[in-house]
Amino acid sequence: MKFADILAQSIHDIKNSLGMILNNIDVLLADAPECIHDHQAARLLQHEAKRANNNLVQLLSLYKLDVQRLSVHIAEHSLAEFCEEIVAEHQAMCKALGVRLDIACDDYLVGYFDLDLVRGVVGSILGNAQRYAKTTVRLSADQLDAYLVIRVEDDGAGYPAGVMDLAETEQLGVEHGFSSGRTHLGLYFARQVARLHTSGERQGRVSLRNGRDLPGGCFELWLP
Amino acid sequence: MAINSFAGKRYLVVDDFADMRATVRSMLHSLGIPAVDQARDGAGAIALIEETRYDVVLCDYNLGRGKDGQQVLEEARQRKLLGIDSIFIMITADNTREMVMAAVEYEPDNYLSKPFTKDLLRTRLLRLIERKADLAPVNAALHGGDQGRAIELLDGLIAARPRNLADLLKLKAEICITAGRYDAAAAIYAEALAARDVAWAQFGRGKLLFLTKAYAQAAEVFQALIERNKELVSAYDWLARAQLALNLPAVAEKTLVAAAELSPRAVQRQQLLGDLALNNGNAPLAESAFGRAVQLGKFSVFNHPSLYAGLAKSKTANNKHDEALQAVAELSRTFANDPAAIFYEATATAAIRHNQGDSAGAAAATRQAERAMRVAGGQHAARMGVELARTLSQVGEKQQAAALLQSLVANNHDDEACLIEIARAYRDAGLDETPDAVITRIRRGVVDTNNRGVQLIRDGQLDAAIDLLQQAAAQVPGNRTVNLNAAKALLIRMERHGTAEDSLRQLRQYLDRVRQVAPGDQRLTTLQAQVQRLVLKSM
Repeated sequence: MKFADILAQSIHDIKNSLGMILNNIDVLLADAPECIHDHQAARLLQHEAKRANNNLVQLLSLYKLDVQRLSVHIAEHSLAEFCEEIVAEHQAMCKALGVRLDIACDDYLVGYFDLDLVRGVVGSILGNAQRYAKTTVRLSADQLDAYLVIRVEDDGAGYPAGVMDLAETEQLGVEHGFSSGRTHLGLYFARQVARLHTSGERQGRVSLRNGRDLPGGCFELWLP
Repeated sequence: MAINSFAGKRYLVVDDFADMRATVRSMLHSLGIPAVDQARDGAGAIALIEETRYDVVLCDYNLGRGKDGQQVLEEARQRKLLGIDSIFIMITADNTREMVMAAVEYEPDNYLSKPFTKDLLRTRLLRLIERKADLAPVNAALHGGDQGRAIELLDGLIAARPRNLADLLKLKAEICITAGRYDAAAAIYAEALAARDVAWAQFGRGKLLFLTKAYAQAAEVFQALIERNKELVSAYDWLARAQLALNLPAVAEKTLVAAAELSPRAVQRQQLLGDLALNNGNAPLAESAFGRAVQLGKFSVFNHPSLYAGLAKSKTANNKHDEALQAVAELSRTFANDPAAIFYEATATAAIRHNQGDSAGAAAATRQAERAMRVAGGQHAARMGVELARTLSQVGEKQQAAALLQSLVANNHDDEACLIEIARAYRDAGLDETPDAVITRIRRGVVDTNNRGVQLIRDGQLDAAIDLLQQAAAQVPGNRTVNLNAAKALLIRMERHGTAEDSLRQLRQYLDRVRQVAPGDQRLTTLQAQVQRLVLKSM
């Protein structure tokens, strides 16, 4: 057995344990709120555990991509429903962080993509955005030049220049990350998922910029 | 929507792991759902679904030995244990995603991949409950076979323009198609497509084009759908059907190979592929497809003797006669007491004996198949007839094969799906006349007689109409249209001149024949209701 396989198996187990922990926090918060003295702290705990869980899920997907065992299942999905689900998952956390979560999406917009992979991408980007936002995070979806564009914006300080360059390159950004304490796994994963979405000659991509509708960072996932 | 959307519904959770059942249960509990039933495997789930009408079933795809989640869904829907107003959510792990996608006939209402959060479950459930809102009466009407009433009820719901409008329209169009109201269905698809190019409406349009025999156009629609979404497996299935109807069996085979690669776990798809490959002379492919079909069929509601017969015939075509005989033996073990099994055993045996050079054995098996078909016939008479004709032609009884196929045409002159199969068998048998010519000739005869009968009814010459249609029905006892019209003529005469014991008996016999070959025929349901009213009035 290769070390990568052992690692993947362990990640799988840790991910499941974390899943159990997350469910239990959920149940505690919902059914026995009186047992928890500091709800804010519990929410933040939940947030960090969720981030760790998302990271592990992404790592596993990347491992499967590497050993060619990742199956991509592209189907038609309603973007309004997609956004609604993302919001449902993040609303409680945004409240705890004191951030407003907006959505802007046409009721009839549909797109073709792998629901789980794209939800993983957008969920993790949104998880970061809500930490950097001052007051508002906005999730929106549009049709542009025959691409579906899913956008996550915030009104924080925006992406630093080094990160914006990363979106264009193949690097995971580990070196940059080790010094700053961040690995940008989410972005790397987003880029890989974008590339798995193809239609004819066209391929998905990721773009980063600052100050679109909101003054902070703007992440865009372009899907053909 | 308020939280109490979840209340007052019956929930079932199916998973082979106790932990997972407990997790899902506690999630449902925290959504305010107090009572949740549980099953640990497919057989247990079916047993519970037989007892209780569940509103929501959350079922893991992997259930250990026995049925998998898809097979639970197929059985529940096929046996009408779950109605159109119920929700079936398939829970999948990341390594099973390709296994579950795109079944041939029944798809779950939604997929949830593990791990999922309570929030996601809540949002999904709320949306599905909203979509299925108010469908219970529609389901009851469908269950009672009253498609007209189901459509009326749907029209009432649609008039209020609710949030689930698209779902209601889609459902209405599908019911219209089953009820034979193609124009109404076409109008729904056209209106949806005028607003925006949505896949469900294109798909429906393709189906309608197919059903109205515009096969080339239907193929174009499905091809375009596939270009837009390579993984829309059901579009491949319909494309293959259209290609078959266009007499392109080799092309259809390629289409199905692509579909089976994307989604290999559907019994019916493997069976159709095996059947195509076998008749196209691609015996190795046929053997692997039927092998898979038999394997997948073990716990499936679609398990059928014809799968084993197909496997046996492919094996003998590959000169593996002993293995073929083993497949026949497995057939009889699996389907003891099934009259259809005796028939398929006989046709498979005839093929094996013929390939072994044992012409006496082949002839004996063929005679047995003929006898078994008379016993088993019924709803599958046409399908069995085609199988028997292929056997006759294989063992060298070409004239008998031709005669049988011609009588199948006469008995099914307005069943297009059936005629396509008959034409293919006719062509494969290498008979002199082309199938199109034969079908046109025979169909014209049946249609002429039938139309003359209908005209006589309209002219009020009921006795003459009854004479003519009775004679016709005696010649083509399996023909539903002729039987229905003969019954109708008898009904009208009794409505005008009072009931008569012998006419009533004969009318019921005609209706019985139609019920045997086409229990779902809407004209049958209408006539039955009229007969009931007549009998009640005369009492």
